Amino acid sequence: MAAAPTRAEALSLFRSLLRTARQFSDYNIREYTRRRAADAFRENRALGDAAAAAAVFADGKKQLEVAKRQAVVYSLYAPKAKSIMEMKLQ
Amino acid sequence: MAAAALRPAILRRIRLSPSPAAAAGAAAASQPHALARWLARPMSSHDAHLTRDEVVDRLLDVLKCHPKVDPSKVSPEAHFEKDLGLDSLDTVEVVMAIEEEFKLEIPDQEADKIDSLPLAIEYVANHPMAA
Repeated sequence: MAAAPTRAEALSLFRSLLRTARQFSDYNIREYTRRRAADAFRENRALGDAAAAAAVFADGKKQLEVAKRQAVVYSLYAPKAKSIMEMKLQ
Repeated sequence: MAAAALRPAILRRIRLSPSPAAAAGAAAASQPHALARWLARPMSSHDAHLTRDEVVDRLLDVLKCHPKVDPSKVSPEAHFEKDLGLDSLDTVEVVMAIEEEFKLEIPDQEADKIDSLPLAIEYVANHPMAA
């Protein structure tokens, strides 16, 4: 069984997920990915069980790969109009 | 000799421009503050650098806009975890928000060290690409 990830490893994965989330051109997907990463890390922050923490960490790494791939795919289909949420309202 | 006769003609055609460093140094010396700026960030074409006050103001705004931060507690001396009650995950999010605000890419090793406003101000104010 893999060892539990260290605090630095977990924070590094979180940062990588947020960085990847930022690359989505679609506001909704960008915000969802960011929110999903933050929620998942909060939900699992207190996992005491080393095996469970390792499993969750491995899943997070898999999700990071998915997000990276999807960011590339979605960049080919970038929305033509911005979301109203992105516009600076006067 | 033909070569000797050609020499002045050739030399007249070839004009060496002064090296960029020497030119920049000379230009900087003519203005008192420019020299300090040039020495701090040589070869930079980016003259309109952010002032420290501007950096502080914008950083305070970033912090105040964060959903978990109580805007009344934000001060230029605040520590993210001790004073603002953020956890390590929030700190990562705040540092990402700072990156976005100043259009920076902070490497992980640097980002890990930023855990308070004084450190963030220091980092952004000294960053040549901060915009």
